[in-house]
Amino acid sequence: MQGAEILLQPGVWPRLFQGLWVTIWIAGVSVLLSIPVGLAVGWLMTLRNPIVRFIMRLYLDFIRIMPQLALLFIVFYGFARAWNLNLDATSSSLLVFVLWGGAELGDLVRGALESIPRSQYESSYVLGLSSWQTFTRVILPQAIRRMLPASVNLATRIVKTTSLVVLLGVVEVIKVGQQIIDANRFQFPTGTLWIYGVIFFMYFFVCWPLSIVARRLEKRWAHD
Amino acid sequence: MDWSFVTQYGPYFVNAAYMTVFISFWGVVLAIAVGLLCAAVEVGRIPVVHGIVRAYIELSRNTPLLVQLYFLYFGLPKLGVVLSSPACAIVGLAFLGGSYMSEALRGGFEAVPRVQLESAHVLGLTRVQTFSHVILPQALSTAIPGVVANIIFLIKESSVVSAIALADVMYVTKDLMGMYYDTYEALVLLVITYLVILLPISIIGTVLERRFDYARR
Amino acid sequence: MTERLNVAVASAEANRPELEIRHLLKQYDNADKPVLNDISFSVPKGKVFVVLGPSGSGKSTLLRTIAGLEPIQGGEIVLGDEVIGQGDPASGKSRRAGAAGVAGQSRSSELRTRVGMVFQSYDLFPNKTVLGNVMMAPTLVQKRNKEEVKREAIELLERVGLADRQDAWPHELSGGQRQRVAICRALILHPQIMLFDEVTAALDPEMVREVLDVIVELADQGLTMMIVTHEMAFARAIADHILLLDGGKIVEESDDAEAFFEHPETERAQQFLKTFSYSRNRQEGDR
Repeated sequence: MQGAEILLQPGVWPRLFQGLWVTIWIAGVSVLLSIPVGLAVGWLMTLRNPIVRFIMRLYLDFIRIMPQLALLFIVFYGFARAWNLNLDATSSSLLVFVLWGGAELGDLVRGALESIPRSQYESSYVLGLSSWQTFTRVILPQAIRRMLPASVNLATRIVKTTSLVVLLGVVEVIKVGQQIIDANRFQFPTGTLWIYGVIFFMYFFVCWPLSIVARRLEKRWAHD
Repeated sequence: MDWSFVTQYGPYFVNAAYMTVFISFWGVVLAIAVGLLCAAVEVGRIPVVHGIVRAYIELSRNTPLLVQLYFLYFGLPKLGVVLSSPACAIVGLAFLGGSYMSEALRGGFEAVPRVQLESAHVLGLTRVQTFSHVILPQALSTAIPGVVANIIFLIKESSVVSAIALADVMYVTKDLMGMYYDTYEALVLLVITYLVILLPISIIGTVLERRFDYARR
Repeated sequence: MTERLNVAVASAEANRPELEIRHLLKQYDNADKPVLNDISFSVPKGKVFVVLGPSGSGKSTLLRTIAGLEPIQGGEIVLGDEVIGQGDPASGKSRRAGAAGVAGQSRSSELRTRVGMVFQSYDLFPNKTVLGNVMMAPTLVQKRNKEEVKREAIELLERVGLADRQDAWPHELSGGQRQRVAICRALILHPQIMLFDEVTAALDPEMVREVLDVIVELADQGLTMMIVTHEMAFARAIADHILLLDGGKIVEESDDAEAFFEHPETERAQQFLKTFSYSRNRQEGDR
């Protein structure tokens, strides 16, 4: 089928890869910043203070029940008007992804910590280990193993969700693709198919390895 | 808070909510159908089809819905296949959801302990009886949390269809914000609409989960 | 004069029990019956105490309070000549489910190493090898020299027959093997007393023997221990003293295991032992 020549036009691939880089960059930064937020949330969830837990519950439930696109709208359009906080599209996206990713990660942290059997704590206790030693040498290593596969899956989801930022106007890979399609509308009318196809596979080749890594990790530590 | 906005444009949100629910409903139904089919193929280990199903699952799970929708809505017409916005949305949701449902259902089937099948066998049950009275109930029980989670996920994903000009809740919000600058009110209605749609389902899901929990007891 | 004092002190020390329990009371705030009700006994050095009883009688709880895993609401736990546990009526809240950590008596690390305990669930630390598991506490808590700890660890593993598995991971071992490692892990701290809480209850029958053999050997070497078990033949052979618990009270005790099993004195004891023997009603001429 003709129309594939659009892919051979000068500058097409470099521009697409540049757009892809923006996507990866946003996802990467979000993942990195989600980690401290997630750890904090996970830790806060295990505290006994009912007020803290209630606030955390509210935050978690809200962020997880609202569609990400809605959250993006709220932050990008809403914060500007309500609090005079004029965040640009990229910053708004980062904020939303970090809050959302952190919430999901926090839940994973909490789940992992709670799944460790009480007998691990008791064995450490009767051996004379201090709370800190127990936490860092016995509990934490096990908790990390339990969370890692799901955490990698979360990273994959974050990468996919970054596709939404095109709707806020961020120039990432989809936007670049649309620009290319528009520019070549007359020369290559079927360009749409090819460009979106390429973008489809670009996302695939970023996310798929992550999925495989997650699955391998899960198998490796399934025996714990 | 401008209440006149709420009374004037509330109906738009209600209509949009119907659209969201409509799209999601059919998307979910088709997704479950696709999922059951794929799960059956995978559990039954049908040779060639198994590979195709696996490829489908990997491709749909590792790519964003938005790109899939753009492909369907803008790309397919170039091949002569023109789908309306709602059709694209439903197909897209079914395509993406099918793989998620398949994984959840497959997990349910694989979680039924072998000894259950053997017990049924020595009691003299036929294969069909075993499937409908022993395997299916237990498989569903294990799979329900996953299926419900996927349903909620798909409803949330449906917010993306606003990108292909479908008048769902997001579209209406964006439109109104653009036209009337009542951003605050529009966003509040947005939040409320989604909460109204998603909270009940979340609660029903929890109830169902508990009611069908016999596999774990 | 000092000589006579020294001799007196020495013989007093020789006579003082390793572990003494005085009027131990454990009761939760919202319960109408205590889990442990006025329990008193003393364990002399080098003796093996076996605690028997039906489920719910409080045997495991007794061991857990001695190990410091749970608080007591009355009475005293004395190790050597030191009171290591005091009853505190205010500590009777039910154990909080789900919260990380141990709602215990908050004992010092050093004190915890003096009471060794092995659980039913053979929970080694999955993120460390066999050797790592055994070496962890003596190096971290007792701050002993690593080389010396390693030598002793390997020696202990040899004694239980697992020296060749020192670099294995817990998930590669069978239940019986893991339990033997757990015993080494506790022993290397040189505790004054060892507590065994139904350590073979979760094991397959072939593996029960290898673990019990280890415990018998330890008893022969003079280790003071308290054992909760359902293995009656084992209890009968190893016990220097038997405590039968029911409903939180000591229903019968005996210094002579054989006598207890052959001729239990109380009716409760007779009932209990009956649950372990079977018989059929065969008619005349059946065989």
